[in-house]
Amino acid sequence: MNDISKKSAEGGFSTVGAVAALLVLAALYAFPSFVESPYALHMMILLFLSTIMGESWNIIGGYTGQYSVGHAAYFGAGAYGTLILLQKWEIAPWKGVWAGIAAALVLSLVIGSICFRLRGPYFVLASIAVAEIVRLTVLNTPSVTNGAEGILLSDLPPFKIGETVITDFVSKVPFYYIGLTLALLTILATWGVQNSKLGYFFQAIREDQDAAHSLGINLSLYKNIALALSAMMTSLAGAFYAIYIKFIDPTTVLPLDLSVQIVLIAIIGGIGTIFGPVIGSLVLVPLSEALRSNLIAQGLINSGLVKEDSGLGVFLKEHLAHAHVLIYGILVVVVILFMPDGVIGFVRKMSARKR
Amino acid sequence: MAILEINHVSKFFGGLAANSDVSFAIEEGLIMGLIGPNGAGKTTLFNCITGYYPPSRGEVLFKGRRMNGLQPDRVCKLGMARTWQKVRPLAKMSVLDNVMVGALCRTNSLKTARAVAMEQLQVVRLDHKAGFLAGGLPIGERKKLEVARVLATKPVLLLLDEVMGGLNPAESDEIIRLILDIKRHGITQMVIEHDMKAIMRISDRIVVINSGEKLAEGSPEEIVTNPDVVAAYLGQE
Repeated sequence: MNDISKKSAEGGFSTVGAVAALLVLAALYAFPSFVESPYALHMMILLFLSTIMGESWNIIGGYTGQYSVGHAAYFGAGAYGTLILLQKWEIAPWKGVWAGIAAALVLSLVIGSICFRLRGPYFVLASIAVAEIVRLTVLNTPSVTNGAEGILLSDLPPFKIGETVITDFVSKVPFYYIGLTLALLTILATWGVQNSKLGYFFQAIREDQDAAHSLGINLSLYKNIALALSAMMTSLAGAFYAIYIKFIDPTTVLPLDLSVQIVLIAIIGGIGTIFGPVIGSLVLVPLSEALRSNLIAQGLINSGLVKEDSGLGVFLKEHLAHAHVLIYGILVVVVILFMPDGVIGFVRKMSARKR
Repeated sequence: MAILEINHVSKFFGGLAANSDVSFAIEEGLIMGLIGPNGAGKTTLFNCITGYYPPSRGEVLFKGRRMNGLQPDRVCKLGMARTWQKVRPLAKMSVLDNVMVGALCRTNSLKTARAVAMEQLQVVRLDHKAGFLAGGLPIGERKKLEVARVLATKPVLLLLDEVMGGLNPAESDEIIRLILDIKRHGITQMVIEHDMKAIMRISDRIVVINSGEKLAEGSPEEIVTNPDVVAAYLGQE
C-alpha cells in the first residue's frame, strides 16, 4: 500500500496522461474563440492568477516546508515595480516586470538571510512581520508609491513588435493568454524543480533539516534558493495583476489577507505536488466568487432549502457575502481535519483504499 | 596513519561538562568502538566531530585538517558522514529518494545518483523496498536505510551512532556483517554501541568514555580486563 513507485498520478508521463494534458491545453488555448463572455474570461484569468501564486508558494512552502506567510510582499514588489516604472517613466510592462522580479529577488534575499535563522513557527511569524514592514513602508513613502492613494494605470501601451501592433489590450483576451502562459510556465518550473537536484534537496529540508544538513546539504543556501525562486514567480503574478486590474494600493496587493490566501491555494489542493495549486485554485476561485456575488445564499433560497422571508434567509442574504473570511476559516479547519494532504492527498488515499 | 585526531576536546553546556579533555586518534581502515554508560557523552562527542556543536575547547583534525567551526554539510562533503541514534528517515519520500539525497552530495545528475542509490540499497539488502515510503518502514529497515543513505555520500570515515539499538538478534547480526563489509571496502568507522558482544566482535580498538572523560583505550581484550572499565560498568565493590 505504501509503494509509490508508480508515480503516474503525479505529473507522470503515461501516454493517457500526455494525451489528456494536450487536450486540456488545446481546449484552454481555444477557449476565447468559443466563449466571448467577459465574465467567463475574467473568471479564467483569476484562476490563472491564483495558479501562479499557488505554484510559486508551493516551491518554498510545499516542497521546502518553510511556511512563508508573507508572500504578499513579493506580489506587491512585482505589482509596484512594474506600475511605478510604467507610470513615472513610461517603461513598458514587459520590460518593467523585470524590475519587479529584481525587486522581489532582492527582497527575498534580505528576508531569507534574516528569517531563515529561525525554524518552524518562528519563521512563520518573522515572515508575517517582514511583509507587514514592507506594506507599511510602501504606505509611508508616497513620493515613490503614492502611499494609500495607490497607483491608477491610465493607459496601457499597445504591445508592438517592430511597427506591428500585436495587441492593444482593449479586450480581456490578451490578458487571458498572458495569464494562461504564465500559469503554464510556473507549472513547468515546478515540474523542473521536482525533477532536479533542487527538488530532492528542498524535500529533504522539509522532511528533516538536521538529517539534510548531515547529508551535505547547505541549509541556508538551498532555503534561500527556494525562497528566491518562489518570490520571483510570485512577483510575476503581482505584475500581471497590476496591468490587468490597472489599480494597486497597499490594501489590495500587500495585505496579510493576500499572504494567507496564497498559502491556502496550495494547502487546499495538496502541498508539495505539481497540480495541488491548480486544484486549490479550482476550489478557491469559484468559492470566493460565489461568496462575493452572494450566489450561495441565493442558491440556498432558490433550491427551497431556506425560505427567502424566513429569519435565516434574510440573515444569509444580508451577511453571507461579507463572511468570506469566516468561510475560508471553516474550509481550512475542514481540510486540516479531514484532508491534511489536501485534495490530491485525499483522492490518492481513497483510490489506494479501493484497490 | 591517523585519519581522525581528537585533541583535548571539551564541550560545556552551561556549567556542565558533557565532554572534558577527550583525546584519541583513529587509524585509517580500522573500526573504533566508542562505549560508555548512558549519558557518558558519546553522542555529544559525535556532534562535536561532525560540526553540530563547536567544541568548547580542543580541536578535531580530519585527514590533518582542522574541522572546528565547519558546518555539518561541509564535514559531509569532506568525507565524514554520520548516522543518527534516533533514525531520521525523510518520511514522505521513497526509500530510493532518501538514498538519492545522499548520493546528490557528490553529483548533479539524477541518473548517476539513482544508480549509486540502487547500488547502496543492494549493499544493505533494501533494494526490494526502493519504491516504498521511508516513513512506513519498520525499525530494522530504517536503520539499514540510514546506513545506505550515508554510504551514498561516499564517506572515507563513517560514524555510526547505535545502529543496532532496538534491533532483534537476527537484525543485529545482519548489521554486524554490514559493518565488516564496509570495513573491507576500506572505509574507516567509529561505532557507538551498547551491545558489548557486538562491539567486541567488530572493533579493532575501543575507547571507553565515562562522565564525559576518557576512561580507557585499547584493544577489545585489554578493555574487558581493564579494572577501571569493569568498575564503571558493574559498579565499584
